[in-house]
Amino acid sequence: MKSSFLESLLWQVAAITITLLFVTPLLWVVTNSLRPVGLPPPRTLEWLPQPLAWSNYSTIFHLIPLGRQIGNSILVSTVGALLTLLTASWAGFAMVQLPKRWQGWLVGLAIILLMVPSAAVWLPRYVIFTLLGLIDTYTALFAPAFMGTKSLYVLMFYWTFRRVPQELFESARLEGASALLIWRRIALPMAHPTALAVLLLTFTHYWSDFVDPLLFIKSEERYTLAVGLRMLQQMAVTNWSLLLAAVMVMTAPVILVYLIMQYFIRNESPLTRLLRG
Amino acid sequence: MSRQQVLFFSLLVAFLAACTTIQAPTSPVAEEGAVFTELTFLISGDPTDQTAYQTLIDAFSTEHTDISINLINIPSGGDFRKRLAADFAAGTPPDVFLINYRHLGHFFAANAVEPLTDYLAASTLIRTDDYYAEALTAFQWQGKQMCMPQNISSPVVYYNKDLFNAAGIAYPSDDWHWDEFVTTAQALTQDQDGDGTADIYGLGMEATIVRAAPFIWMNGGEILDDEAAPAGLALDSPESKAALAWFVGLQTEHHVVPNAVAEEAESSLSRFVNGRMAMFVDSRRAVPEFRLIESFDWDVAALPVSQQRASVLHSDAFCMAAAGQQQDATWAFIEFASGVEGQTILAQTGRTVPSRKALAESESFLDPNAKPANSRVFLDAVPGMRHLPLMATWSDIEGIVSKHIENAFYGIETVDEAIEAANQQSAEFFPVP
Amino acid sequence: MQQNEGLLDSVILRKKILAFWHNRHVSSYQLELGLLLTPFLLGTAVLLLLPMLLTIFLAFTSYNAFTPPQWNGLQNFITIFQRDVFWIAVRNSLVYVSFSAPLQLLGALLLALLLYHQRYGVREYRIAAFLPSVIPEVAYALIWLWIFNPLYGPLNKLLGWVGLPEQAWLVNTATALPSLIFMSCFRLGEGMFVLIAALQGIPPAYFQAAALDGGSRWQILRHIILPLLTPWLLLLLLRDILLSTQSSFAPVYMMTEGGPGYATMLLPYLIYDEAFSHFRLGHAASMLLVMFVVMGILLWLVYRLLGGWGYTDEI
Repeated sequence: MKSSFLESLLWQVAAITITLLFVTPLLWVVTNSLRPVGLPPPRTLEWLPQPLAWSNYSTIFHLIPLGRQIGNSILVSTVGALLTLLTASWAGFAMVQLPKRWQGWLVGLAIILLMVPSAAVWLPRYVIFTLLGLIDTYTALFAPAFMGTKSLYVLMFYWTFRRVPQELFESARLEGASALLIWRRIALPMAHPTALAVLLLTFTHYWSDFVDPLLFIKSEERYTLAVGLRMLQQMAVTNWSLLLAAVMVMTAPVILVYLIMQYFIRNESPLTRLLRG
Repeated sequence: MSRQQVLFFSLLVAFLAACTTIQAPTSPVAEEGAVFTELTFLISGDPTDQTAYQTLIDAFSTEHTDISINLINIPSGGDFRKRLAADFAAGTPPDVFLINYRHLGHFFAANAVEPLTDYLAASTLIRTDDYYAEALTAFQWQGKQMCMPQNISSPVVYYNKDLFNAAGIAYPSDDWHWDEFVTTAQALTQDQDGDGTADIYGLGMEATIVRAAPFIWMNGGEILDDEAAPAGLALDSPESKAALAWFVGLQTEHHVVPNAVAEEAESSLSRFVNGRMAMFVDSRRAVPEFRLIESFDWDVAALPVSQQRASVLHSDAFCMAAAGQQQDATWAFIEFASGVEGQTILAQTGRTVPSRKALAESESFLDPNAKPANSRVFLDAVPGMRHLPLMATWSDIEGIVSKHIENAFYGIETVDEAIEAANQQSAEFFPVP
Repeated sequence: MQQNEGLLDSVILRKKILAFWHNRHVSSYQLELGLLLTPFLLGTAVLLLLPMLLTIFLAFTSYNAFTPPQWNGLQNFITIFQRDVFWIAVRNSLVYVSFSAPLQLLGALLLALLLYHQRYGVREYRIAAFLPSVIPEVAYALIWLWIFNPLYGPLNKLLGWVGLPEQAWLVNTATALPSLIFMSCFRLGEGMFVLIAALQGIPPAYFQAAALDGGSRWQILRHIILPLLTPWLLLLLLRDILLSTQSSFAPVYMMTEGGPGYATMLLPYLIYDEAFSHFRLGHAASMLLVMFVVMGILLWLVYRLLGGWGYTDEI
């Protein structure tokens, strides 16, 4: 189908209008996070406040221990992401080499687990973590990484490794290599895009996680950024410039990671896209 | 190192990090040689409170060098109570915590709080006679003194003197009536730019049972049918209902209080602090924040009365967890905090009305050089002061009743509907007769 | 000499062991694979399967986390069914999911139809449309709390600028829940990408054939594109319905706490409140169970209603 110039133009207008709808709120947040504290509330729509108060971004660090919370978030997200990379790729790697019947069962299990919303397990996990003495530890936050965070990540590695010729694993095994060695030397290097995608996705997953720290973390010094934002909301109820500045501090890294994924990971399967949820 | 090696080592580091965080929960490192007691102390307050309690702890530590106290502050009251309940549930309660009596019944009923009666009897430093009985009784459960009240506060009317002056209205008298209160608030509510919504409100008032309670009592009404053996609410008596209707009418009828939209847009507290609200009802706890106000002059007045004087106790107490392992050290701290020195430190923040009678009457509290000038109204309120019911399910009942008072206050329900709904929903939380 | 014999013995022994090891090698490798699979299986058992069983058990007990759970049969269900608030929450949750899930899907479909062609700038437009979906949920809730602020929020300022009447949004019982549904509609990035991929997977021959037959754009959409997308649409719809149980929590918690009145009281928040404010974990577990039964019925209904519609393998 050949599209005329007019059609292209119409398309561009439609696309720009719609994307503006999606981006404008975020732009508002950016500009209003720079609105000087203490100005009377705006009377009309303000696109760009005058003057720009960059100091809002340093003020929030004094109001709540934001630096500490960013550190905690980075710690939990990094450990969670790396641990997930291990467990999910191990599981996917092992699954590919199991007998076909078992593979079927495990893939089925993983797909069913995919359908379990996290809301179903908040309460019982709290009870279990209490019994295990994990309440108020970082471990409670990245505990899901021990099961690959989400079974989808396991499936992603499974699908990736299935595309690798199985003879490669076979011959290495016959030469006496252990499973761990084959995983590290042969399997993982061939799954670079998947590994990177899983790393970035799990990092943002743990970075954004709100409910788990809300339920499981009690000490202020172990709060992550998500709970910190809630704390700031409680402390500076009407101070929107500061709240929005904190919102940007939490959101900017996630957007950055997302842009990295968009521009550096190509040839994704449609299912790769699914995993964010 | 190759890329794979980098990857592998970073994975290894992550795994080790994961394992060490599992193995090493935050156990305090005891100093070698010294017998060292470490206590946790949980509070809920703003940064000013936190500083005040840290000062208290520091003063205590200079006397008790063998005891160190770890102060934990949860700014939001709701989060604080969740945290406290979770700590008790997990079997790791704080050694000592500061909490309002309204949220204690549940813990008393579960035997989670250590009674202080015996400690008090043995104490050489503090005597119960030194404290206001109105505050002590709110923390008594089955004949035992469970916690040591730190303050005896109550709601008063904070008012912006400049706005009163500008409107040419006399400051509130000590025995003003409900009607006078309403006309004053009406005269102070102003729509300056004529857009139909007020720019300056006459009054700010939380729509909760805590705020409504003194007005119900002033009118001869009750909250519960039987204080000793409650079987239900008594808000549908004519006296209670009339008081609630008047309370709710401040917003729905007289519009002297911000409506839901205005309150959502900017809280009453913020309006008062920014000089755009003439009167604001709150307890003593607002004082430290209001002392920072430079743009206008302010003072406090008593609540307006109707048939009789009444007030409601606002009091926090130091409580000791029954499951605590270091109860002697914990008591030493509670004793210190309740003593002259401890209460003086806290009174200096301006936040508390001391529960020690002599201290409340002294210049530590009635400091003529510190705002509010009329601090005496807090003490004048003591004789007519009552406390909200102490029952295991009170926080549930209070939540339900407050929710419906709020609904009525902002016009979502009528007063009758609100009372009916509150009766119905709270029924399951009263003991079956 | 004896030493040598000893040495010889040990050498033989080693060879024997190695031979044995070699014969057993396949199964030892299987064992290693099993070990690699263990974290996933064990984690799943402890963090997903055990919790689900525990929920079912707790639903029939009285448990306050202070004292061990006590069996009390159906009492929890009797108690929660007698509460108005519970039924209000069930109704609100059903309203929420019946609007937010289809609207998200519709939005995702429209965006996918607009943005699946390769055109100038299409990649950037897709990225822009995905942006709201990557914002962490706490941050997203705060942003919208600000946008909806009835006096100072940009949404009302925008309406005033255009000349439309301002709304009270989250403060009015009539508009609070629709406001939450509205803000959820912008988080449709994943659906959009799945549908773009699905659209790109449709062989161009279908379109060409239809165009030759003189089919209008609407006819092509109705008779070719939609039937081919149906399995994807159904999958996404079921997923959105399930995810609404977790995605609706943060907005309610951060923005409305169920109010005004009970206008935005949704089941996830009510369950959280029951469990973690009042520590009636038994009640909360029974509500959780009811929530998933209701969700199950809803999923089944959607599946039955849409499963047969338009989906034909023969195309």
